[in-house]
Amino acid sequence: MFKKFLCGLLSVSMMAMLMTGCGSSPAPAAEPEAGEQSNATTVEEASEPEQPAQADGEVTLELYHSWSPETTRGEVLTSLVDEFNQLHEGKIHVNVETNPDFPAYQEKVKTMLSTGTAPDIFHYNYNPNDLSYFESGLLMDFTPYMDAEWSERFESSDLETLTYDGKLLSVPFESAGAVIWYNKDVFAEAGITEFPDTWDGLLEACKTLQDAGYGGFSLFTGDDAWYSVNLITALWIANEGAATVNASTSFQTPGMINALNTYKEFCKYSTSDVIGGNYSVAGANFSSKKTTMAIDGSWFTSYQDEAVIPSIGVAPMPANGDGVATQGYLVTDAQTPWAASAQTDPAKEAAIAEFMKFITSEEATKTLTMEGSVVLSAKLELSDTDLAGVTEQMAAYLKVNGDAPSRTTNLQRNLSTQAGAELPTLLESFLLDQITAEQFCEQLDELN
Amino acid sequence: MKKRYLILYLFPAIFFAVVFFIVPLFYIVYISFFEWNGLNAMKMAGIQNYIDVLTDKSFILAFKNTIVWILAAVCIHIPLGLMLALLLNRKIWGWKIFRVLYFLPNVISITALAFLWYFIYHKDMGLLNWLLEGLGMGDSAKGWLTELGTALPATIVPFAIYVGLTTVIFMTQLATISDDLKEAALLDGAKGWQMDLHIYVPLVKPAIVTNVMLNVAFCLKNFEYPFVMTSGGPVNTTTTLALYIYKKMMNANQYGISMVGSIFTVLLGLCLMVLVNSLQRGKKGD
Repeated sequence: MFKKFLCGLLSVSMMAMLMTGCGSSPAPAAEPEAGEQSNATTVEEASEPEQPAQADGEVTLELYHSWSPETTRGEVLTSLVDEFNQLHEGKIHVNVETNPDFPAYQEKVKTMLSTGTAPDIFHYNYNPNDLSYFESGLLMDFTPYMDAEWSERFESSDLETLTYDGKLLSVPFESAGAVIWYNKDVFAEAGITEFPDTWDGLLEACKTLQDAGYGGFSLFTGDDAWYSVNLITALWIANEGAATVNASTSFQTPGMINALNTYKEFCKYSTSDVIGGNYSVAGANFSSKKTTMAIDGSWFTSYQDEAVIPSIGVAPMPANGDGVATQGYLVTDAQTPWAASAQTDPAKEAAIAEFMKFITSEEATKTLTMEGSVVLSAKLELSDTDLAGVTEQMAAYLKVNGDAPSRTTNLQRNLSTQAGAELPTLLESFLLDQITAEQFCEQLDELN
Repeated sequence: MKKRYLILYLFPAIFFAVVFFIVPLFYIVYISFFEWNGLNAMKMAGIQNYIDVLTDKSFILAFKNTIVWILAAVCIHIPLGLMLALLLNRKIWGWKIFRVLYFLPNVISITALAFLWYFIYHKDMGLLNWLLEGLGMGDSAKGWLTELGTALPATIVPFAIYVGLTTVIFMTQLATISDDLKEAALLDGAKGWQMDLHIYVPLVKPAIVTNVMLNVAFCLKNFEYPFVMTSGGPVNTTTTLALYIYKKMMNANQYGISMVGSIFTVLLGLCLMVLVNSLQRGKKGD
């Protein structure tokens, strides 16, 4: 009898404890242990439903971005955030959380937004064919804060692009052009004295490099297939011209089909891990001299081994020599703006705007460009003295970027989400001869 | 025991099952009828998501691949585990060390193991191709994870050979076999493999059923090996149902489609469990 009573009592106690656990208020967060960084707070913790900012208290913001602190640009961004925190000590404090895997980062941001756990500030790839961020109603409107002085910092076209339904839902941040980075020393060693100015010439150069024991382009089909799609876009522009490509609503064009076939040729001179490889693998292939070229943005050198950086040169995009495209055109990444999750606390909203103004200021933009090797959307005039202070590679990049006769967004960045998700599979099917270039274009059109 | 006590004891389990399994399951079914990208308003899609999934070649392939994983579990992994258990059961020299060594991979993260195998299979710097070349079989060296014919088997191999947990479950069952039975068999002249085949194997049938259930469940949830080693490629040849669900939700933002994939996975799991149970009951009835 006593045993039954005891068992029953224990069961009831257990349930009572469980119910208490379910219904009670969360315990106050423990004070950080000595030596713990205050910015060690996770985004999940920090993004709990709005913590009203106290009138005299410090407003805490969570910044989530993809620039690894291990890279130059990440390091510079971190130092700028530290500077902001010092300037606003006791008033605003920005905690930083990073995820260097950009495709995974973007997926996580979307998931966090949909589950109501979004960070206060984040950046993302703007896609004119996927306005789900704007349509969600989950982004903060910067319109009340965009005064004349701040708006002067940006191109009006960029601000228009990021305005939806009369609300400025993002702040222009990064708009990078991708150029050809190549290993000058290896080219010289293989006997190639000048970088070819036509794609046919570059294919010939790849054969020469292969004979010397080196690969051509760093390419990959995993994730967003960034390097591969940069090359395909560049070849398409060479075949049909930037204006035609920019206006094209279909991929089923002779120029695109030809571009795909030429891309397949270039793959023969790349590494064995093109299929299934990703950005890290392809970048490491360049560092280890398995490949000698990559089409990437200004941040490329910050991911490279220090030993190889002095050998890196920048080349303008070749053309076909038929006058259809002018040499030096740019393939660009999508515009990558800052956005903030919608706030109910005016003090927090004001703090976000304050940080945005700081990070897009002329001084911060200059620091990020010169020290972090990134090219940003905010306006920036660099004097000759400034240019003398940047690395040889960055100076070369800025020249090619500045001289570009046209700019075309990497075709993957403008695809619908479903088409973008299927692109790696289509590329792999094409490279493994399961589908032809014509079928690739047809299927991509259908998905898009 | 009185019924009221039974209800009292079962209540916590039922409560958690309802809150964390039944309710989410109904929510999954609910979402499966909508077109939703996770951010914007949900639009009723009726049974269109089901039609889309059933006509989606990548889903059919993921389904087939999952079945291949299950077959590998039943036909390779479990027999291998049983053979190892029978071998260790003979208390050969150092059997305890071998048992620990075989079990060791089970305490290492699958992600780490998958990375390890990614490098073993790498075409240029992989251990496998290096060994083949060393053995004068350089012609057989290939990109194991990037070729259509080898990618799926290559992702299954680590799972098939890491049989530590399965072996331990078999050994536990073997330990329960009465010494009287063993002695009787020995007196009847049974030796070596005859003991294994006629005494031990029939008596570890409950462990076989347990291992089948555990490994089928693992295969249905299997995500890390294909995700880390191939991201489901090339051309979806290594995509499993779990990876299909992830890709549809996280890459394509098609939450409704993803939920339909989840429902079919649950249905497949239920069918397999019923099949295993009915086979077991059939055997008992024989």
